[in-house]
Amino acid sequence: MAPDIEVDSLDVWYGQARALKEVTLHLGPGRVLALIGPSGCGKSTFLRVLNRMIDRSPQVRVKGAVRVGAFEVLAGDVDVTALRRTVGMVFQQPNPFPMTIFDNVAYGPRIAGLRQMAKLRQTVEDSLKKAALWDEVRGKLRRSAMSLSGGQQQRLCIARALAVNPQVLLLDEPTASLDPVSTAKIEELIVQFKTHYTMVIVTHNLQQAARVSDAVAFFEHGRLVEMGPTHDIFTAPRERRTEEFLTGRFD
Amino acid sequence: MRADRIASLVMKGALALFIAVWVMVAVIVGAGAWRFVSANGLVGPLLSSRWSPLAAHYGILAFVVGSMAVTGLALVLAAPGVLALSVTGARILRGAPQRAFIQILTLFVAVPSVVYGWWGLSVAVPLIRRLTGTAGFGPLSAGIVLAVMIVPTFSIMALQTLRQVPSSLVEGSLGLGATEDQTLWHVILPASRAGLSQGFLVAVGRALGETIAVQMVIGGQSRVLSLLKPGATLTTQLLTDLALMPARTPGHDALDFMALWLMILMAVLVWLQSRVKGMSRG
Amino acid sequence: MADGQWRGARPLKSPGQGRAAHKILAGMAVLAVLLLLSVVVPLAAQAVPALNAAFLFGRAPGAIAPEAVNTVTMVAISAAVSFPLALLAGLYRVEFARPSRWTQAFDQFTGTMLSVPSIVVGLVVVDVAVVRWHWPVSTLTGMLALALMNWPLTVALVVEALQSVPGLYRDGSWALGASRWQTVTRLILPLALPQMIEQGGMAVARLMGETAVLIYTAGVNVGPGWALGGPGESLAVHLWLLRTEGVTDLASAQAAATGVVLLGLVFLVLWGSRRLAEWLQDTA
Repeated sequence: MAPDIEVDSLDVWYGQARALKEVTLHLGPGRVLALIGPSGCGKSTFLRVLNRMIDRSPQVRVKGAVRVGAFEVLAGDVDVTALRRTVGMVFQQPNPFPMTIFDNVAYGPRIAGLRQMAKLRQTVEDSLKKAALWDEVRGKLRRSAMSLSGGQQQRLCIARALAVNPQVLLLDEPTASLDPVSTAKIEELIVQFKTHYTMVIVTHNLQQAARVSDAVAFFEHGRLVEMGPTHDIFTAPRERRTEEFLTGRFD
Repeated sequence: MRADRIASLVMKGALALFIAVWVMVAVIVGAGAWRFVSANGLVGPLLSSRWSPLAAHYGILAFVVGSMAVTGLALVLAAPGVLALSVTGARILRGAPQRAFIQILTLFVAVPSVVYGWWGLSVAVPLIRRLTGTAGFGPLSAGIVLAVMIVPTFSIMALQTLRQVPSSLVEGSLGLGATEDQTLWHVILPASRAGLSQGFLVAVGRALGETIAVQMVIGGQSRVLSLLKPGATLTTQLLTDLALMPARTPGHDALDFMALWLMILMAVLVWLQSRVKGMSRG
Repeated sequence: MADGQWRGARPLKSPGQGRAAHKILAGMAVLAVLLLLSVVVPLAAQAVPALNAAFLFGRAPGAIAPEAVNTVTMVAISAAVSFPLALLAGLYRVEFARPSRWTQAFDQFTGTMLSVPSIVVGLVVVDVAVVRWHWPVSTLTGMLALALMNWPLTVALVVEALQSVPGLYRDGSWALGASRWQTVTRLILPLALPQMIEQGGMAVARLMGETAVLIYTAGVNVGPGWALGGPGESLAVHLWLLRTEGVTDLASAQAAATGVVLLGLVFLVLWGSRRLAEWLQDTA
């Protein structure tokens, strides 16, 4: 079952620079949250906290609590690999591994210890179907993932994330480097995935946020300025800053 | 535009001179080798290990095997050190310690091989002597010295390759629940294949061509492979016999024959390197 | 936003699961560094008894000043001859020649020649200069050998440095109507120079430590004073000779001291070239 996400007055510092300030929010199970805001507002930091990818940055300090389903994300003894298996991530640039299409999708299950070829094959096929890539790559699974187009590569990365049975998907500007047709395909997937996965998507494309999300959170200078149902945010934002951002009257 | 033409002419001249001189080098070595092959055949000397120029026996098998053994041994012994140093320098250390680490390795790249030979005589040979009860001179000691010598070169190249693995790949792997270790073995190292092969080939070339460090510890006898008894390689034998065999004697032609083999081996290594480079692009 | 507020937050520690192999490799790296230090530290330790003013600067037999002078002069002159020639050839290869099968073949040729073992270069120089031209075994012949072996390496490093300058800069310059020669001298060379100097430092360091090629070209003796046709034993050759023929305690201390002086010169060259490269980069 898709879990909910609860964030309680989260602060994040890089060294002495504060990246997030007292962020508190709740996202229900199977809902899609879009994070919007100017560059450097902290939305990517927020995303990277949710699967502890933030560990890779040096000198990170945190305050507050983050819960994803049963995971206390910031606890010292959290099982990070289990967390990351539950919370999948798709990146801004498609980042397939330099291996075959099959090995890319099978990577996660293999890492988790799955060895039986029949099961692996089934998982790969299922994941590729879910990512709507199966029809394009069936019979070519032994080709290098690098031979795919940018849009196909991104769907391969989605299939790769799905192959480990995640319950949450984090999408960091997943269509920023793609053409409109590929973008539409990815958006279609996100809409299909609703209710199956709880999703958080960072996007610079406001129409995209409007099309795919249930809720929108607007960040500025590390603060969560406003969060609400997508329709409300786009038609009647409560905060002046949100309105200025949405209408492009933003300095 | 006139300046362009004059400059172009001067540069063409420099280029032509460079090519001409080095082609001459190859021709001189080749001519000696040709005389040698006409007199002794091509295959015979390669299959015989009897090297006694005064009796006109020019079997170079022992030297060929010696070169290969010493090089192979050096690579095997160096491999764990290269892996450890490159992973530490590229994926564990960061910031100032990382820069310092790379600078120290670079200094060791520049340490002259005669100093590594000195180390071999002062440290490696006595150690082997104590451990095995032999004289300590031989291919084993030479392999150890060469290993220590190529570790910095190979490690720096491997380190730079590992460092260039895009962090998007690393995060892609970690994001799927892979541990740092799994990411290293299954993503970072495979993604660095081209650069690692490149470093490997450079290390092979350095080990194969090294003369002085090997000569100081190998003992200098024509013997087909015994790791603990004095042996010789193509390069060390060139060094020892260069003084004994004046130019235009059959013995000197034999040296040219060995030198030509070394040049051919280097050409093959360089060709392989260009293939590997193509691999990383495509 | 009060100062020091960040102290209230806790450092986020990665739980470090699955880093066992990394830890083992780090441990092995420490051992490898210790092994490398075991090359340099005993050298310095054994050199101590011999490192004194008489040994370094004296004129008595056994003092090392003549070898040091031979090393520095031979390396300096051979580098001064080979570098400009290589620069011109490299410039033509990168900035003027059209990329084709021929430039590829040229790179292959240069790569092969720079990896030819130095003893092979020694073989050829002895054959040509000493035997055919009757040059003496001397600093002159040593310089010829060093310049010859430095040539392809320098061509390669010039080519690499020029190629590291992005092609867009050239397009930009040509679009402004600059000729190729103007583009090269005003734009490309200044940009490529720091890398050339740093790599050039490595090349010079290699020449300083070169031994095999010099034994039969520059010889194993020193003369009463420096001369172009005089005997030209270098520091590296001196170290080799002392350590392979000498057996006395004094000889081995002197060998180690020679090694220390040689290392000092090598590191000085590396340090100097790096500082120069950094300075050029900063002023550019």
